[in-house]
Amino acid sequence: MDETVAEYIRRTVLKIPRDEIKMMLQKWGFLSEAQLQTLNFHQIKDNISQEVVQLCEENSADIKQAAVLDIIYNHIYQNKRMWSVYQMRKTGEELECFDLTDFKKKFKRRLQSALKNVTITFREYEDNAIWIRVAWGTPYRQPNQYKPSYVVYHSQTPYAFISSSVLKSNLPLLCQALIVASNYHDIREMELRSQSLNSLKDIVFKRYSQNFQTYCPKPLQERAVEPENGDLRIINENRSEKERIQRLNQEAFGDGPQPILQFAQYKLETMFKSSPEMDVLDKKEPFRCLVKFSSPHLLESLKSLAPAGMADAPLSPLLTCIPQKARNYFRIREKRGLFPESFVSP
Amino acid sequence: ESGDPQRTALLLRKAWTLYSVTPLYRFCRGRLRDYARLLSAFIAAERQKGLAVEVGVELDIKVALSSLPELQGSEQDQPAVLVQLSSRSRASPKNSEDKILWSGCFCCVYGDDLSENMPEDFTCLPLFLANGAESYMSVVGNWFQKTFDCIFRRLAISPFNLSWMVAMWAGCKVDKAASAVELVFSVPRLPQPLDISYAIHPEDARALWDTIQKTPGEITQEEVDIFMDCLYSHFHRHFKIRLSATKLVKVSTAIASAHCDGIVKMLHSQYLSGVLMLLTELAISQIQ
Repeated sequence: MDETVAEYIRRTVLKIPRDEIKMMLQKWGFLSEAQLQTLNFHQIKDNISQEVVQLCEENSADIKQAAVLDIIYNHIYQNKRMWSVYQMRKTGEELECFDLTDFKKKFKRRLQSALKNVTITFREYEDNAIWIRVAWGTPYRQPNQYKPSYVVYHSQTPYAFISSSVLKSNLPLLCQALIVASNYHDIREMELRSQSLNSLKDIVFKRYSQNFQTYCPKPLQERAVEPENGDLRIINENRSEKERIQRLNQEAFGDGPQPILQFAQYKLETMFKSSPEMDVLDKKEPFRCLVKFSSPHLLESLKSLAPAGMADAPLSPLLTCIPQKARNYFRIREKRGLFPESFVSP
Repeated sequence: ESGDPQRTALLLRKAWTLYSVTPLYRFCRGRLRDYARLLSAFIAAERQKGLAVEVGVELDIKVALSSLPELQGSEQDQPAVLVQLSSRSRASPKNSEDKILWSGCFCCVYGDDLSENMPEDFTCLPLFLANGAESYMSVVGNWFQKTFDCIFRRLAISPFNLSWMVAMWAGCKVDKAASAVELVFSVPRLPQPLDISYAIHPEDARALWDTIQKTPGEITQEEVDIFMDCLYSHFHRHFKIRLSATKLVKVSTAIASAHCDGIVKMLHSQYLSGVLMLLTELAISQIQ
């Protein structure tokens, strides 16, 4: 077995938390159940990974098999990576039947014709998700297995999710291979990025519970703010205000759990306006700002601002539109004409 | 006015942790070499005891104390004192350069408020800047405290003072392409914490400040408040979020950046003195 493959397998196993190694090796299926029995999972990881490498040696593992283990790891730990969303477009309405074998063949062919040294691995998962791992080389160098790109393509949709640690120069080639293989005509990057792959899918596949602008005649009592303890002597001040805020929040964000995003960024190119008594800046030029919101769970965080008294309810549509617009990068310019107070995002 | 650029340049572009220091008793500027020797012995002893060390290669630690006369404001100010710990690994060749492990700087820029009525035996150097591992700060701090009967205290920077800094610095003219004027707010007590970075194009921030400031060279509290209110209301207009209800934790401009934990980076030599003057003032109010 090649030393670089051995080292790669050793490092991959080292990444796995100790109590998950057995499960992942089983999913991998490259080592037999009998071989797995011989492994002692109660020693330090260094030793476990050495033993795994030895077993792989017995089975003459090559890079292709090692790459599969890497995909399995990254599928389980997908939230460690930052994912970008790409949308493909077809001209014409042809509804073709998706052929997996054809897809793989065309994808490989497109990449291999451009780059001699490249490792391509596919693995299918539920939900029609095809995971693709690509390790990139050059005409003179073997592929760098430690910096691969990952693509998750849902074959029944025009969406692909690409893990952003790609060496930037390879991105166009990757995109090309995708559209060629899937029979689309072009591809564009959406302004949407998150570490939570499932949340990105929820957003673009519209799987989260959306807010509907319809009138919901639920009696107010159902939404009442309950006192925190049963002590009836403690009354809730501003009860009706709190209820109003909760109702508006619900309308804006919907009922269900929010998709998980880590940030939203706004490039503001609007005019600066102050109250008339302040004798300040009144330029005809935009007041240029860049605003970035960050949180482990941004939408939940924003949803809690009004109840906490830090924001007005309803919260600005610039924030609440994130899931519907399927973007977390915005450029806001002043809308000219009739409604100088409103904003557009291109 | 800036002094010899070479010497003061070592203050630029490093993250300095701030401390206030009470006046030093019987500190004699002529004895800097002696102090360096004593401090060196102290550090060696601490290391023998197993305290205050970076784990790793065997190091010879050299201590150097020097005066930085370029860093003072008025005639009353004491010139700054620089403390540097450097090392040469015993393994590396003889003529290799020493690596600076840790730097500390006592200074006083326009500290007249403190030094005015100070008795002869006391030296006023209320501001201390430290860069390097905390373990070295601890040892050096201990030695100075024991030797000169002074007290070091971490200097935090309140949102009030951060607002002053950003207003002042946003108004400074900078020649080359300046970096944005950035304010960072934190909202920790939500179910999911939120950080907000609000960065303004430096020209636009300066234009705003220019229309607010009435007298060049002078800044009033009212002007700072108006500046911040303008930024807050522009933000509120877009997002309906009240930044004044959040915590301002960091400000950043082309001149300098400052974090509420008392960490500062100075970026522009022309304004070095101005920033140190402000920090000296903060240190003095903590002492008094």
